[in-house]
Amino acid sequence: MAENLMLFAPELTLVLTGLFVLMVGLFLPTGAKKVLGYLASIGILVALSLTVSSLGTEGMAFNDTLSVDALSQFFKIVFLVVALIVSIASIKYTEGNSHTEEFYALSIFATIGMMFVASANDIMVLFVAFELASLATYALAGFEKKNQKSLEAALKYFIIGSLSAAMLLFGISFIYGLTGTTSIPGIAANITALSTSPMGIVAVVLMLAGFGFKIALVPFHMWAPDTYQGAPSVVSALLAAGSKKMGIVAAFKIFIVALIALQAEWQIAFAILAVVTMTYGNVVALKQTSVKRMLAYSSLAQAGYISMAFVVLTPLALGGGILYALSHGFMKAGAFIVTAAVAYMVLSDNKDSEDTDHIDNFKGLGVRMPITALSMTIFVFALAGIPLTAGYMSKFVLFSSTIQSGFAWLAVIAILNSAISLYYYAKIVKYMYFLPTDLEKVSEPLPYVAALLIAVAGVFAIGFWPEPFIHWAMEAAMVLIPGGM
Amino acid sequence: MIPIELYIGLSAIIFSIGLYGLMTQRNGIRILMSVELMLNAANINLVAFSSYNADLTGQVFALYSIALAACEAAIGFAILMAIFKMKGTINLDSINILRW
Repeated sequence: MAENLMLFAPELTLVLTGLFVLMVGLFLPTGAKKVLGYLASIGILVALSLTVSSLGTEGMAFNDTLSVDALSQFFKIVFLVVALIVSIASIKYTEGNSHTEEFYALSIFATIGMMFVASANDIMVLFVAFELASLATYALAGFEKKNQKSLEAALKYFIIGSLSAAMLLFGISFIYGLTGTTSIPGIAANITALSTSPMGIVAVVLMLAGFGFKIALVPFHMWAPDTYQGAPSVVSALLAAGSKKMGIVAAFKIFIVALIALQAEWQIAFAILAVVTMTYGNVVALKQTSVKRMLAYSSLAQAGYISMAFVVLTPLALGGGILYALSHGFMKAGAFIVTAAVAYMVLSDNKDSEDTDHIDNFKGLGVRMPITALSMTIFVFALAGIPLTAGYMSKFVLFSSTIQSGFAWLAVIAILNSAISLYYYAKIVKYMYFLPTDLEKVSEPLPYVAALLIAVAGVFAIGFWPEPFIHWAMEAAMVLIPGGM
Repeated sequence: MIPIELYIGLSAIIFSIGLYGLMTQRNGIRILMSVELMLNAANINLVAFSSYNADLTGQVFALYSIALAACEAAIGFAILMAIFKMKGTINLDSINILRW
């Protein structure tokens, strides 16, 4: 048992860190709460290094309800990296806030939930962990409780989130009822009861809707732009880069491992959702004036690309989708941290300004905040898929595997979409470097710069040395389809 | 013994009532009530299946989901409280500043 517990050393470290931060925060005066940010970041860093050092270990724990394998390790690292970026950047964001300890405790608990979803081997554990992450992020989205936008974002996220939880649970109840088990491999073994019953379709539809809301696939996306725009930028980073990946890994486990026998039913649904999502996201993003909202729609489009992995279902495509999840974590978290830095700049110009995320605030950013502007350029070009960045490599793997498997039409739509997306990404760059501003240079806060540099390093690491990452993502994909189909 | 179809029918009806309420109601509290209905419909299913499969997992799952529903309600009320303090109403029609 003790050995099994060691498999979950990273999660346990985070649990302790979260509780410790929460307790210590009670006894600190507001001015001294900055130390909590450092504590939380160190805790996440320790968890990250524990996960990296235990790469390659495999095992089951707690009556086989949790499993550690290549897939769970990969996604745990995605979540931990995102949490690290967010927590470093939040050192500046939470400065002088008397609720700092709650912010860090909630973001750490959300990360723990995501990590347990990645290792869940039982639908019950998966659902509970899924809810842990969701509940923590509902509260985080409404963290600025004197800010109307933040509250509206939290309310919309909460209503849609609880709707999706109810649908998931209803779907799970049918799966449990017909297969008689909640274990994910057990469901796959008893699938005939489900695939021969009309309830199977009901369950698939409900699960698809439940996860579709979390991943923000069109037509289940309505909450995403509002929430990403209204929530504090650092929280949007956690939502777009972390919480969305949680939906993806959960959907991987449920659909590809447990419900693979019902493939004919959900594969075509994912094909339609992927195409609609990427097209809608990119087209609507074109005319946004709020950068956060634009990033939200671009995030929809990226989720559409990742969903292509569900359609193609070859090891290479799944590897591409998994690699895309990692790259998207770096790119999107970084881009949202940039909007946090810009919001800080705007608020230091004028304390009462409301539209901190308007694209006009990016005018002359290349002069005012050179490091932030340069990182933003790198992130948006990576999101568009310019070579030598993470975005290019993961798109390359995903799209080429799609063509190889005979889904050329899908790849063509995805590539056309990437071309459309370049327009609005380039618009941000134009605002930052080619439009003049008469406001002077602002000194960039160190925490934001540090968080941005980590994200930039990740984007370039995957872009320049893709082989180890692709190999690693392929190993994770092999967990999903052991036989290689 | 009551046939299981009746339980599934009951839970489907309750789930649909919840879904209908969620889509049509404009008051924050009623929305929360609708969500509770949907979650409890799933609980009925879990317990009924558990009893018919002679397997306790479903009942344990139902207990977990009741606890989660309580947490969810707590967070929901907290958000609604914050909104009420700011605007003096929890009518969803008045919460509309974020839109494209």
